[in-house]
Amino acid sequence: MQLLQSIHAAARSLAAARIPHVDDIVPAYLALTVFYDGLQISYGEIAKTLLDECDRPVRGGGESTESRQHLIPVRYDGMDLQAVAAATGIAIADVIARHTSRIYTVDLLGFVPGFAYLSELDPSLQLPRRPEPRPRVPAGSVAIAAAQTGVYPLDTPGGWHIIGRTDTVMFDPARDPPALFRAGDTVRFERVT
Amino acid sequence: MDFCALGAANALVGNRLDAAGLEWALGAGSIKFAQDAVFSLGGATARATLSGKVAAPCTTIYAKSGDELAIEQINGGRFLYIAFRGGVDVPMVLGSRSTYLPGRFGGYRGRSLKSGDSLPLGPESTNSPTDGFHCAPDLLPPYGPGIVHVTRGTHADLFDEAAWRTLTEGEYRVTGASDRTGYKLEGPALANKAGSLPSEAGCPGSIQIPGDGYPIALMADAPTVGGYPKIAVVAAADLPILAQRSPGETIRFELITIEQSQRALKRRVSDLNTISQLAASSSR
Repeated sequence: MQLLQSIHAAARSLAAARIPHVDDIVPAYLALTVFYDGLQISYGEIAKTLLDECDRPVRGGGESTESRQHLIPVRYDGMDLQAVAAATGIAIADVIARHTSRIYTVDLLGFVPGFAYLSELDPSLQLPRRPEPRPRVPAGSVAIAAAQTGVYPLDTPGGWHIIGRTDTVMFDPARDPPALFRAGDTVRFERVT
Repeated sequence: MDFCALGAANALVGNRLDAAGLEWALGAGSIKFAQDAVFSLGGATARATLSGKVAAPCTTIYAKSGDELAIEQINGGRFLYIAFRGGVDVPMVLGSRSTYLPGRFGGYRGRSLKSGDSLPLGPESTNSPTDGFHCAPDLLPPYGPGIVHVTRGTHADLFDEAAWRTLTEGEYRVTGASDRTGYKLEGPALANKAGSLPSEAGCPGSIQIPGDGYPIALMADAPTVGGYPKIAVVAAADLPILAQRSPGETIRFELITIEQSQRALKRRVSDLNTISQLAASSSR
């Protein structure tokens, strides 16, 4: 968890440094990936610039306050809700209560545009992925798998357990930025009917 | 999928190298011109005719309003590109005019084209290359031999010397499980001792090794993160060579350094710029 936080902090300070020819900065669990324009600057030069920037003491103030809090309304009527209750031996009302009681952190964005890997799911709700992914999970589906939860931003194949759905638009190419969540943000789910 | 083929086709009609064109895969079809236009064909080869006359590849072609460009089955390579003078005028989404089919956005209404769609062309710049101008094949990537250069990937060290020998000495065949998302390859399997790793960013060209040991090369519509170890990355200059391989065709990997890869990419772009200059000077 601490490593993830330092990776997010490094990503924020690299972004704040506005290094020329850098196109994108993607923090993940064990890696920080920087996309740059290789026609404009060599690997050697950009690597040195990035490493020097990471060695610099963290720029004063502001970075951690940049993470935002989101409250996502969910109708808990997902097609796997009953199966999750059965597999965990927890009543449906308690599955919902345990899912809404936590504040999750956006660890990583990816897979498809706007998909956020949110941790840490209540240990009593942790199940392996479904043995066969579904060919199409509808956009807005709220799902859980292992220690993570997330919201499918688009209709995509998916192997997580669907427990609910939200009308919140996770990704809109016409919005700036298009993805609702940023790495490091925190998310809470709220039950609506 | 093949930026060199699209770039060359654009150069031949006097466009910027990255202007929007059409990517054409699989079946036959035709395009009717509703206005006079200049177009060119690049990448995969197909028998093509313009109102009954052969439309040669890598050539600047003038079409009249009412002309019909008919394309039969692709017979060499995989993705054919059609560039039109002025470029296809679709809105910019997230800095690009290309279509992202999985997300259903970008390009023309976020979807594949259908019969009856009508595509607007953008404004033309001043000089058009002359009708019949042809581009020398030596300014295009060497598609024929199927040599694909790779650099070491982020998880290169998780694979031992034997795995590296296997990857660079074996021959790999593109399987039917290959599309714009990724190409699954068949050939000598690589021992993946790392299993699955915590997800991290990847890019088109990443060669990942799943549990079965058979490489998957990520392509243009690849997921932005993944958890399989990435042994190598296809040099950007050679991604077009891989992209144009059809299922059943083979490739070989050769290891190069990042510096060599960057030089090779610069050479490709400079070759495309040469086509632009030659095309422009043909108009005088």
